[in-house]
Amino acid sequence: MSTQVTSAPERESSQARRTTYFLLREAGIGIALLLIIVFFSVFAPRFASLANLSNILTQISINTVIAVGMTFVILLGGIDLSVGAVLALCTVVAGLTMTSTAFPEPVAIGLAVLASLAVGSAAGLFNGFVAERWKIHSFIVTLGMLNIARGAALQISGSRTIFSFPAGFNQFGTQTILGVPVIFVIALTLVFLGRFVLVRTVFGRIIYAIGNNEEAVRLSGHTPSFYKIAAFTITGLCVGVAAIMYMLRLNIASPILGVGFELNAIAAVVIGGTSMSGGKGSMIGTFLGACIIGVLNNGLLLLGMGDFARQMVTGFIIIFAVIIDTYRVRLSVQMAD
Amino acid sequence: MKTAARVFALLTILSLVLAACVAPVAAPAAPAEVAAPAEAAPAEAAPAEGAAAAVPAPAGKNGMPVVGLVMKSLANEFFKTMEEGAVAYQQGRGDFTLIPVGMNSETDIDTQISAVENFIVQDVDLICLAPADSVGLVAPAKKAIDAGITVVNFDVKLDDKALTEAGLQDLVFVGPDNEEGAYLAGVALAEALGEGGKVVIIEGNPGADNATMRKNGFVRAAEEFGLEVLESTTAHWETEEANTLMTNLITKYPDMQGVMAANDSMALGVVKAIEAAGLTGQIQVVGFDNIGAVQELIKEGKMLATIDQFGPMLATMCVETGFRMINGEDITGWSKTPVQLVTAETLK
Repeated sequence: MSTQVTSAPERESSQARRTTYFLLREAGIGIALLLIIVFFSVFAPRFASLANLSNILTQISINTVIAVGMTFVILLGGIDLSVGAVLALCTVVAGLTMTSTAFPEPVAIGLAVLASLAVGSAAGLFNGFVAERWKIHSFIVTLGMLNIARGAALQISGSRTIFSFPAGFNQFGTQTILGVPVIFVIALTLVFLGRFVLVRTVFGRIIYAIGNNEEAVRLSGHTPSFYKIAAFTITGLCVGVAAIMYMLRLNIASPILGVGFELNAIAAVVIGGTSMSGGKGSMIGTFLGACIIGVLNNGLLLLGMGDFARQMVTGFIIIFAVIIDTYRVRLSVQMAD
Repeated sequence: MKTAARVFALLTILSLVLAACVAPVAAPAAPAEVAAPAEAAPAEAAPAEGAAAAVPAPAGKNGMPVVGLVMKSLANEFFKTMEEGAVAYQQGRGDFTLIPVGMNSETDIDTQISAVENFIVQDVDLICLAPADSVGLVAPAKKAIDAGITVVNFDVKLDDKALTEAGLQDLVFVGPDNEEGAYLAGVALAEALGEGGKVVIIEGNPGADNATMRKNGFVRAAEEFGLEVLESTTAHWETEEANTLMTNLITKYPDMQGVMAANDSMALGVVKAIEAAGLTGQIQVVGFDNIGAVQELIKEGKMLATIDQFGPMLATMCVETGFRMINGEDITGWSKTPVQLVTAETLK
């Protein structure tokens, strides 16, 4: 980004470097996932079956969508701790809209989806605006939002679980397209949409650039604040989508759901190779990170491992992924020299 | 101008935050002049004295008696209904002051400890305590009793050993027998499956007292009726986690016939997983708590049974027991509150 003029051979070698770096980054996680899958296929009974694969895809869908949103803010060097609580608030608002008798069923469903997207985006916009306007670290702002959203969800719902959605809505959640669960199709669409935005649009490139060097972006005439607020809004929008997916999958809306979802999403992003200090990472990596968490969760249980051991193994994997990440960063620095 | 806008925005945020903090705790202190309708008192209570409520309110240290009600997470539907039951009862009687305190989460023990300490400073007449930690709340309870406050333990029993060590082995406990409730649910499942039925147990939070007791009740029923427990594992009281877990357990044990879930939130996730696997009717599910969403499933035949422990009555009974004690009655030990099996039959 910084050097505009490069000679042909330099460009070629930088292309080669970039390819090596790409392989190291993307394939590294892919190979890890592949190894884990091979291991479970051999040792975990009933792991390698289409039905189980379909189950895993369903199980990772919600986390994938939240992690797609989370990737945007982590690329900026930020964080969003409020996603789980905002998810709960979105389901409550959508659930109340959907069960309202004021509208005919299809209208109620449509309004509920819109309400969820609107609530999620509004929360994200608030996070981004406050963080940028007063230059407060997003860790603190979203920690506040976590409490605001959770409190609001409990207040609005009277801490009750909302249920009895229209039958058509409930049944749609377990549908499959050519054997692929519908909610996974939604998740994969968002992954590729996210990748497109990050890789193919100016907006995406500027997100990376801000993560690397915000000052340089400012000096080049862009307004970092705009992009940062937009990134938080995108995260919120993804949470709004995830909320509808949750309701499709479990047919309930509840103010207490989503506790700890932020940590799962952050784990997926980090395992996927996105650096917490921003500027480096990819959407495909995030998706593979979510896959690793889902496959581990499923495979370790089928292997017969107990609750506490499963939790410990997952913890080790997260730390291991970050250690690998430091090597990647070092290598990429070497290659850049 | 800019500063004014900034101050305004900050104030708005601050008031939002304050509202969020204050709202769940604020007790609707009912005015004293509210007449006490007789029907507000629970049906099984002792004969009414005069036109007032069943158990006469004792004389408080400073006029009207003050009751501190320490509950677990009000985010939990069970405690929310309990709080509402207690507030309705208080408003019906109007001859005592109720200060309900909830927590932010199930594991937020510090909030409970500070609540008890605050009640000691306020010198309330009675503390009704539903501990989030069976051992951790013994010391604050002892402190309150030493300060001359009547303490009644309810919902979850404080740890016997810790109580004995503190010299409080006779502390009154008002609450349901979680083990017995889970046993009833387990028996219902065993009767539906017959001997040799293969089941899994979905446990609550490891370490939580009621989770342990419910698991024990399930296991006792399984042993007595010859059910085979394939696996017993936790989903931390959580719907989504139970859904994922159950989906994986169905893969692991294709011959599974029944599930005992330690609460209804998890049962919801379990039922949905069975539905997604196309096994509705082939795997029977029992739960615990009797929440609205589960009643629906039982009526539809997607779930076999759940357990009602009459949450709204619990706090009320605790307050009444406390009043009796202050009035001079000698009460010790465990006053068991009812647990009842809820099936499609009873819901009709």
